[in-house]
Amino acid sequence: MSWEILWRHTGRGVIFVALCGLTFVVCFPLVWALSTSLKPKSEIFATPPTLVPKAPTFENYAALVTGRPQYFQSGGQQVDTGATPAQFFTRWFLNSLLVTLGSTVISIVVSTLAAYSLTRFRYWGRTFVPYFSLLGYMVPSIIFVFPLFLMMVRLELTDTLLSLVLGYVSITLPFCMWLMWAFMRSIPIEIEEAALVDGATRLQVFRDVVLPTALPGIIAAAIFAMIVSWNDYLFGRVFLNSLDNLTLTVGVMLFFEGTHVDWGLLMAACVLMTVPMASLFMGLQRHLVAGFGAGAVKG
Amino acid sequence: MDVSLEVINKSFGSVRVLKDVSLKFPSRKFVTLLGPSGCGKTTLLRMIAGLETVDSGIIRFGEKVVNRLAPRDRNIAMVFQSYALYPQMSVGQNLAYGLRVRGTPKEARAAAVERVARILEIEHLLDRRPAQLSGGQRQRVALGRAMVRKPDIFLMDEPLSNLDARLRITMRAELRRFHLDLGATTVYVTHDQLEAMTMSDHVAVMNGGIVQQFGSPAEVYGRPANLFVAGFIGSPPMNLIHGAVELENGAPTFASEHARVSLRHLANRVHAGQRVVLGARPQDLRLVPSAAEGNAHGRVWVVELVGSEKLVDVDLGDKRRLTVQVRADAPVLEDEAVHVGIDPHDVHVFDAETAQRVSGRESAVPPFPGSEPLGRREHFRPIATSWRD
Repeated sequence: MSWEILWRHTGRGVIFVALCGLTFVVCFPLVWALSTSLKPKSEIFATPPTLVPKAPTFENYAALVTGRPQYFQSGGQQVDTGATPAQFFTRWFLNSLLVTLGSTVISIVVSTLAAYSLTRFRYWGRTFVPYFSLLGYMVPSIIFVFPLFLMMVRLELTDTLLSLVLGYVSITLPFCMWLMWAFMRSIPIEIEEAALVDGATRLQVFRDVVLPTALPGIIAAAIFAMIVSWNDYLFGRVFLNSLDNLTLTVGVMLFFEGTHVDWGLLMAACVLMTVPMASLFMGLQRHLVAGFGAGAVKG
Repeated sequence: MDVSLEVINKSFGSVRVLKDVSLKFPSRKFVTLLGPSGCGKTTLLRMIAGLETVDSGIIRFGEKVVNRLAPRDRNIAMVFQSYALYPQMSVGQNLAYGLRVRGTPKEARAAAVERVARILEIEHLLDRRPAQLSGGQRQRVALGRAMVRKPDIFLMDEPLSNLDARLRITMRAELRRFHLDLGATTVYVTHDQLEAMTMSDHVAVMNGGIVQQFGSPAEVYGRPANLFVAGFIGSPPMNLIHGAVELENGAPTFASEHARVSLRHLANRVHAGQRVVLGARPQDLRLVPSAAEGNAHGRVWVVELVGSEKLVDVDLGDKRRLTVQVRADAPVLEDEAVHVGIDPHDVHVFDAETAQRVSGRESAVPPFPGSEPLGRREHFRPIATSWRD
């Protein structure tokens, strides 16, 4: 009995401490990146290392946002290194944004309509298409990337953002469709029939009844598509070539090239890369679960 | 607006769910499709709504054939079993949706919603979402959504089945009253015979995709057309005893191992040697004091008190039982030997081969006004012959 009480009191504490530790481990790289990005060059390699910068500076962020060429000290002399990754940062950011939005919009529109068709109309193949498409997603994308690249060559689309949009759609669409299919299946068909009887056309039913009810599913699929497109490195590396067309993931790797790595700049770029997805996720996660089909039918 | 169904057939894959269904629902009447689950009643309703295609046959609203009309062009309203409220819209928006998609101006919409909300006493709920309503409130909103457009025909698919027993009784009366006030033709689907009996002007009893009988509640109760209707309608259910007709002193008599009842008054309808089924409602049976007065004899198996009455299950032997309804204060004890009196004029006789009604209890049924031309004769007879399919 005393063991039971002891466990009840200490058990929670132990679990709490363990979870705190786990959270710290998971968050540490991000915290360290943030900390490094705010440090002046002199402090980055200081011993002992500091978690909170002693003299915080935004110079790294300023360099990235304004595209100011970076100089580095060599024997007390400032040397112009020519074109640097920092100068392209805003351009790459915009590229990533365009590619992510493009592939997400296409994936969502196509997968939503496809899922609606798969769940509401009767035709041959509608039962196995969703499973088959999920299977497609389970194949590693490295298997797709070279055939796709060869197709892009034939289409003369290599080194364009469009090629990347198409490439991302080919990996996000199957999973988005499966997700929307599973979601649409759970929407009771009676509410659509009620709208039909009320006088709505098929298109009105889709717009007024199906879409609002499917919104949590659409948001989930969109978040998935955005994360995949935003974080992809492989497709960007293979499809793109010229500096102007790179996306963030590929571009940030260039910070490593050469003999010198500006860690402060690199970490600032990483933090800026993380911000859009993190804020998007925090803003939308509420909608993921809220109000899903509640009260439509007997609950 | 009257609704006629002419020789409707429907199959899902290899399953025939409706077989040559012909019915005519008169204008402004409350008609119920009653039957066990899987009898095709909901499919029939969905065909009237236009949500299901018709394999063969004609559906008319008035004179107009509507087979190929979309639901929106039929001027109907439907209340679904699950209510099917739009989850993302407020109650007010739910009510107004039908008017909105039909292009009714905003002011007229607001006025219509307000009128319906007042009638249904849901004015205080207009801003809530369906998820925030109780079952009864949702039911009212679903009803309101159907009422708001003033449809010609009201279709209801078991709208009370998700409510608790007490609310169901209240809503039964309210639905009947709404029907009278609105003056639209109402087609109501249920498997609950009590709902059918209490609310309807006409009842179509269905089984196995076939209309077994179409008539007033009093008719289907008092003159069941066949064994299925006899067994399905009435609670507690009718006692059915299998036997044959014998001649006793020149008069036909129903005879089975356990019971004998004179069928003298049916002399011209039955013949000796005919295998028949005798139906007798528990209310029409009596416990009699002497063996000489009794038509069946047995031992009380169990006694159930149901409020003002007692249901006495009498074991006739071979696990054959008769249910007799007696007054609650009747002194009946379990295991007691009893005699059951059966008044020949209260029994229903069915042919055991065809399962059709032979005759019996003619005078006890008051003809229901307006029901006769509808044709129990025209409609149930040709289709009811094969109800066992």
